[in-house]
Amino acid sequence: MSTNTRIILICSGKGGVGKTTLTANLGIALARTGVRTAVLDADFGLRNLDLLLGLENRIVYTAQEVLEESCRLDQALVKHKQEPNLALLPAGNPRMLEWLKPDDMQRIVSMLSDQFDYVLIDCPAGVEDGFKNAVSASKEAIVVTNPEVSAVRDADRVIGLLNTNGINPVQLVLNRVRPKMIASQEMLSVDDVTDILALPLLGLVLEDEQVIVSTNRGVPLTLSGINSPAARCYSNIASRLQGEEVPLIDPAKEGSGMRDKFRRLMQTKIF
Amino acid sequence: MENLISQERVIALPSARKEDWREAIPRILIKAKPGLVELDCRDWKLSCRDLKKIISFFEKAGLKINLIRSNVVQTLVSASALGHQTVLRLGEQSKSSSYEENNNSNITRKSSLLFHEGTLRAGEHLEADGDVLLVGDVNPGAKISSGGNVMVWGRLRGSAHAGKFGNQNAKIVALQLRPLQLRIANEIARGPEEKPQEGLAEEAIIESGQIIIQPAKTNPLP
Ligand SMILES: Nc1ncnc2c1ncn2[C@@H]1O[C@H](COP(=O)(O)OP(=O)(O)OP(=O)(O)O)[C@@H](O)[C@H]1O
Ligand SMILES: [Mg+2]
Repeated sequence: MSTNTRIILICSGKGGVGKTTLTANLGIALARTGVRTAVLDADFGLRNLDLLLGLENRIVYTAQEVLEESCRLDQALVKHKQEPNLALLPAGNPRMLEWLKPDDMQRIVSMLSDQFDYVLIDCPAGVEDGFKNAVSASKEAIVVTNPEVSAVRDADRVIGLLNTNGINPVQLVLNRVRPKMIASQEMLSVDDVTDILALPLLGLVLEDEQVIVSTNRGVPLTLSGINSPAARCYSNIASRLQGEEVPLIDPAKEGSGMRDKFRRLMQTKIF
Repeated sequence: MENLISQERVIALPSARKEDWREAIPRILIKAKPGLVELDCRDWKLSCRDLKKIISFFEKAGLKINLIRSNVVQTLVSASALGHQTVLRLGEQSKSSSYEENNNSNITRKSSLLFHEGTLRAGEHLEADGDVLLVGDVNPGAKISSGGNVMVWGRLRGSAHAGKFGNQNAKIVALQLRPLQLRIANEIARGPEEKPQEGLAEEAIIESGQIIIQPAKTNPLP
């Protein structure tokens, strides 16, 4: 097993905060920089990472057949057509939940480590067996949360569990940030969230309609080339994960008026 | 081993087991050059009143204290209440006293005192039969409870229960008391709505059958 492989769990506690969306976009963004990246769908109950990546119709085998040794790993891996550095290992059928053990998860991840530089594990919501299995196979973690009290509370619980399981580093992504609502103090601010969670902030992701559009098309934003606020956020997160120093966006400066849109367009043209 | 670079700027009280600080202070201060110093209170458990006295002796000798060190959390709570920057030194404490290491390395137990270092996160519960000292925060959704006093050298934003076996004299002390819920013995109170003043330690006690919150003016330990 390669010891240099970054095995990163993407988890949240609360459901629906954006784990799968982050896994898909980060997977593409990392692969684009030339590193061999695998995304593993560990949400066996409600698998949908394949859907977001537009790979649903190309699945032949899954992690289940790999574990049962009825196929080889490379037969189950689904390579992304446009981004060949990215491969998906799909989740098996939901019955896997009944028998899967931490050992099984570790076996799969260890196989992936031999071939990839990054392994991103899309974790199920909650803190039950599915979460525990995924944690047992991970080295580091990204905790995704929204600026909402309940999501932050669940994230805090998860961070406690990650710490006791020796996962390190644990970093934070704050998703669905709405600058206007923060400015009018209708939403927790970035400081409010980091004040409680006390984790290094890997990045913010702005609330962005394009996320929903791209999800429905099965083309992650980072792949579509659409210059949208969230797309930039995801790429920045990929850069920071690789050790680059990219300044955080300042929600206070992210407006949605015409002038801001124009300014953003200008900025991206230059780079 | 003392830090050599800052040695001349650290003034230490004698250990509580050797000499009373009240007797030692005049002798110590005669030798000291005026200026900025760090005060090391060693193993002294000092109330705000004691500390104020010490600080005023220092000031008369032309010494300004910029940091207070101690091995005793209660002393640091007092120091913080007086607005001083504080440093907890655990190394010396575990060496010089009978604290024994539990199998969990950040928990130390001595007779009826449970010591824990690290923030309690949502869903975590630290429980003790006697007094409990936590160095770290109690986050929303986390809980700390004890048969005796609850002391938090950090921010208390979850819930706390002191005197859970019925001790009405138990206290809850924290550098920042902003809890969701407080309990002392059988009394329950919701946390205050307004934000606490920065830099002031606060305590919750029972007074005429009700939980009240006040600045930790008095010695945090009864
Ligand atoms: N930055 C964003 N802006 C707008 N919508 C978003 C953003 N991030 C996620 N969403 C939307 O939120 C919903 C939930 O996202 P996603 O499925 O990634 O969450 P999840 O944490 O994986 O959920 P689950 O816990 O069910 O697995 C989706 O409809 C997605 O399009
Ligand atoms: Mg998901």
